[in-house]
Amino acid sequence: MEIRRTFTDAALLQILRSDASPDDAIRFLYHTQFNITVAYIKQNNGNDEDAQDIFQELILVFIELVKKNKFRGESSVSTFLYALTRNIWLNELKKRGRSKLRDEKFDRQQSDTDVDVSQYIMHREMKNALMQLVHNLGETCKKILLAFYFDELPMKEILVATAYENEQVVRNKKYKCLKQLEQIIAARPELAKNLKSVLSYE
Amino acid sequence: MNENFTNTELLIQYLDGELDNLQVDMLKKSMQDDPTLAEEMESLRRTKDAVKSYGLRHRVSTIHAEMMQERKGKAAKSPGILAKMIPYSMRIAASVIFLVGLSILYQYYSATPEKLFDENFQAFNVHQTRGNATTALQEKYTSGDMANTIKQYESQLDNTPEDNFLAGNAYLGAHQPSKAIDAFLRIQQQNKTGNTHYFEEDTEYYLALSYLLNHQPGRALPIFEKINADKNHAYYKKISNWFLKRAERFK
Repeated sequence: MEIRRTFTDAALLQILRSDASPDDAIRFLYHTQFNITVAYIKQNNGNDEDAQDIFQELILVFIELVKKNKFRGESSVSTFLYALTRNIWLNELKKRGRSKLRDEKFDRQQSDTDVDVSQYIMHREMKNALMQLVHNLGETCKKILLAFYFDELPMKEILVATAYENEQVVRNKKYKCLKQLEQIIAARPELAKNLKSVLSYE
Repeated sequence: MNENFTNTELLIQYLDGELDNLQVDMLKKSMQDDPTLAEEMESLRRTKDAVKSYGLRHRVSTIHAEMMQERKGKAAKSPGILAKMIPYSMRIAASVIFLVGLSILYQYYSATPEKLFDENFQAFNVHQTRGNATTALQEKYTSGDMANTIKQYESQLDNTPEDNFLAGNAYLGAHQPSKAIDAFLRIQQQNKTGNTHYFEEDTEYYLALSYLLNHQPGRALPIFEKINADKNHAYYKKISNWFLKRAERFK
């Protein structure tokens, strides 16, 4: 029998702020919020595919805002996510040139929760470009850097997963990969200049 | 940018929390005295943050796929069906072994450079998320429009290593190996001149495939052999002994 973990708002924020795995929290958000987003997007000129894209983006932005202490539980998580969805979808509609249609709908649906994600919206394209650079890094480098910096695995486990000769070889490879990525980013002056804002929503 | 290996290594060790207190104090003092070093530290720290952010995106994407699967209600195969299949699998095992043997012999004797290339070439996959292409060339490449990727590339005066790499893949996809070779050699030259490592191992693999398609096995084989001998190479798993055996037929 499947056992689903549930969270109070406080517990959810606590786990997302910590270094613990966010997987259960993300699943919980899917179980509790996904249908709300689908319904909202469909009511506002979107389809299922749009809803799936927007929801993934919503989860990413939400987690990163929580980690940067930009949301401290001033409203309920559900209310905040709903307002965030509106902002992200509004931006998407603007991009698609449906602003007139959007204005009519959104004017009728203003909520009391004001979510300022302007910095996120401003840097959205740059963030995507940055993620693309990481993505293009090469499988081995990505595997090692993600294992070390995202999954925070010990070198011993990374060694097993990568089949290198010893930990020192993995360490050297990790060093080269991080430096390589840094150089790739530095080769994009506009991105490098705004890196702090892109990553911290400031 | 500070290119000093020892300093950079120290900075990364600092970021990873691997220095003792004395080393930390010394490094902090060095950063106060040398703004370039402090700048490099910030740059590395943000690069690390970018990796973490990418990791989160990747994780959300994985869980998203899992959740969508769950919504579709696609349950795992039922044990009943599996149990019914066991006697059948026993019965057909001998036939499968026989057919696999025949297939191996056929693959060995019917191999041509074009066939080997087609079996192994898969254009470098640029992750596609709506609206994340960074340049006109990359946008065309990610949309799978290889003809216009090539047009864009040939109309540009200055090409970055990434442009050369994607264009090389587009040329390969269009079966224009000699142009692909030029593009990949340009990246290697750029890396050599700039002491950089852009797409280093990817380029080796695709360059060797280009030589193979261009009927230059003498140039392709040493690269394939190098990849096959290097367990740490990103494309090690793609160049099997079996692949080499078949490629050696063209010498």
